Amino acid sequence: MTSRRGFLAGLMASTLTPQASWAAAGSPAFLSAGKDASGAFLLAGLSRTGEILFRHPLPGRGHAAAAHPSRPEAVAFARRPGRFADVIDCRTGGALARLEPPAGRHFYGHGVFSPDGSRLFTTENDYENARGMIGVWNAADGYCRIASFSSGGLGPHDMLLRRDAPGLAVANGGIETHPDSGRAKLNLPDMRSNLSYLSLEGEIQEQMELPQDLRLNSIRHLAVHADGTVGFAMQWQGDTGELVPTAGLHLPGSEPRLMAGDDARVLNMQGYGGSIAFSADGSRIGVTSPRGGVLQVLDTVSGALLHEHRMGDVCGLAPSSGGFMASTGTGQFIAVSDTAQHLLHRANLAWDNHLIPLA
Amino acid sequence: MRALALITALAAAPAAASDMSSSITDRLILPAFKDLASSSQALAEAAEADCSAKSKTLRAAYGAAFDAWIAASHYRFGPTETDSRAFALAFWPDSRSKTPKALGSLIGSEDAGITDPAGFASYSIAARGFYALEYLLYDPELSAVGSPDYRCALTRAVSTDIAATAQAIAADWEKNYATEMRVPAARYRSEEEITQELLKALTTGLQVLDDMRLGRPLGTHDTPRPNRAEARRSGRSLRHVLLSLNAMEPLAIALAQKNTELKADLAHEFSKIRNRAETLDDPVFAGVADPASRIRIEALRQQVKDLRSLVSDRLSPALGVAAGFNSLDGD
Repeated sequence: MTSRRGFLAGLMASTLTPQASWAAAGSPAFLSAGKDASGAFLLAGLSRTGEILFRHPLPGRGHAAAAHPSRPEAVAFARRPGRFADVIDCRTGGALARLEPPAGRHFYGHGVFSPDGSRLFTTENDYENARGMIGVWNAADGYCRIASFSSGGLGPHDMLLRRDAPGLAVANGGIETHPDSGRAKLNLPDMRSNLSYLSLEGEIQEQMELPQDLRLNSIRHLAVHADGTVGFAMQWQGDTGELVPTAGLHLPGSEPRLMAGDDARVLNMQGYGGSIAFSADGSRIGVTSPRGGVLQVLDTVSGALLHEHRMGDVCGLAPSSGGFMASTGTGQFIAVSDTAQHLLHRANLAWDNHLIPLA
Repeated sequence: MRALALITALAAAPAAASDMSSSITDRLILPAFKDLASSSQALAEAAEADCSAKSKTLRAAYGAAFDAWIAASHYRFGPTETDSRAFALAFWPDSRSKTPKALGSLIGSEDAGITDPAGFASYSIAARGFYALEYLLYDPELSAVGSPDYRCALTRAVSTDIAATAQAIAADWEKNYATEMRVPAARYRSEEEITQELLKALTTGLQVLDDMRLGRPLGTHDTPRPNRAEARRSGRSLRHVLLSLNAMEPLAIALAQKNTELKADLAHEFSKIRNRAETLDDPVFAGVADPASRIRIEALRQQVKDLRSLVSDRLSPALGVAAGFNSLDGD
């Protein structure tokens, strides 16, 4: 027979350990990698208004991150061609595990959990064989590696869950690199980027390629709306000064829609889409360019460029109730509505490329 | 002694930020856009008086107004960005030949809407501005195709539109934006942000010089692109390099404030580039396709890159602006 004391102890233990929730970690609204004033790299959890709730040191520069759907755990991915992914207990900022890809592979900086939180997927480069791969890790049991499968192209970068069907959406940037030659691009003469839809077991469900005249546009970053529409941001590998779109929309089963490609202001992006996010209501999509120091807000119905927001070294972007949240390399955390910017917080560090929203 | 001077200069820098931005606004920015507005008005009047493509007075007025735009064009923020005014004045590079297509289509259809200035301002940006007018005045085909009366009307419409856009920018600067540059208020949250905007004008201007004005015609060694030289039809490619250098040098020097050593080094780099450009004797960079002369244009571009390094390595840190964590990352 269970004593009252034993029952209470069990209840407390169960709230603290097996079902520990994001609330126990202060309910961060966002994750972001960064670099502090001393030059050290970190992953931070941010509140809705940009205050830092926890920070965890990283052994090198991070890039993006993934949050477990229920447990207060985040994974910080190394910037390519890095080889670490740190699993962090967000209640304490302490380390739970460090993942390393198999020999001959490196991470690309992005990853995502399965909807039930049992598996973690990571984008990887099998560089000796010039193949894009997705690594699969058992998040239910110590993050041991389970499997890997083809990403459906070269240079898989951002990856998110589909929302119209079970599966992954993978941005295969199309660019071959090898750590021996750093970040040099080895295959521009015949590069082809694609957006691949894969089942969680790795079967290719659908692939979208851009028209031939845009084959040098590398699909790199993704956003997914509740209706399943995928927003994609591109990085142009052709000559500078070409007027080419940096954002597009794709609903699986239909043709891609390239956005604002005729609007001269797209030149302000300098051919470089850094992060992309839908507004909460899905009526807008935002795309940032740190090179241009600009956030462009586009209408998801008409495809028109609606507004430009100038922000120095802006890159991170996430949805918010009034529009978007943007983060910058100068430590700014800015709420952006259609026509206004509000600086909510300024940290004494540099926010790295991506601002990851927590559900 | 030199160390002491440096310390004094550094100590003086932050306190002087608003003085510096006020001075740059009054001495450089406002006069540049005022000059653009008045020379563009003279261009519209010259087109009204004689719209012939071969008219010497029209071509001279065109050259003067285009000069004024190039000298102001690195101030790409605030009033130039409202309603895409900068693109309406200068849609370049035009990688898909939208400008000749848009003009050819207007001339072919004799679209009567061009005579209404407000209506013309809603036309494709590719059919507006200095690069469109260059086709009408200097392109062998577009300066001769269709009816002379329609081409005349179109020349006047583009010229009038340039004048209106230039006037709108100058008025916006005078009435609204100059105030924003003097003291942080609505647009800029701190003096540091104002300084960053001015520094960005310089770094972006140098980037355009490097990647666009020189980089586009140079192309690659195997595929040189002489036809991509800016404003080559009017023989202005090299002239634009010199004009933009001359316009950016005082901005760079002003940003260096009291750091006399940096000022001298910046002035030295600018003069090295200018000397090389002046001795090039190749107004449209036709030499990019010839290995012997290509080397000299490549050397010019290398000097521009050296100047960019000087700015990013010494001027930016002196202003407390760190190199872009994200903008330099590329991922």
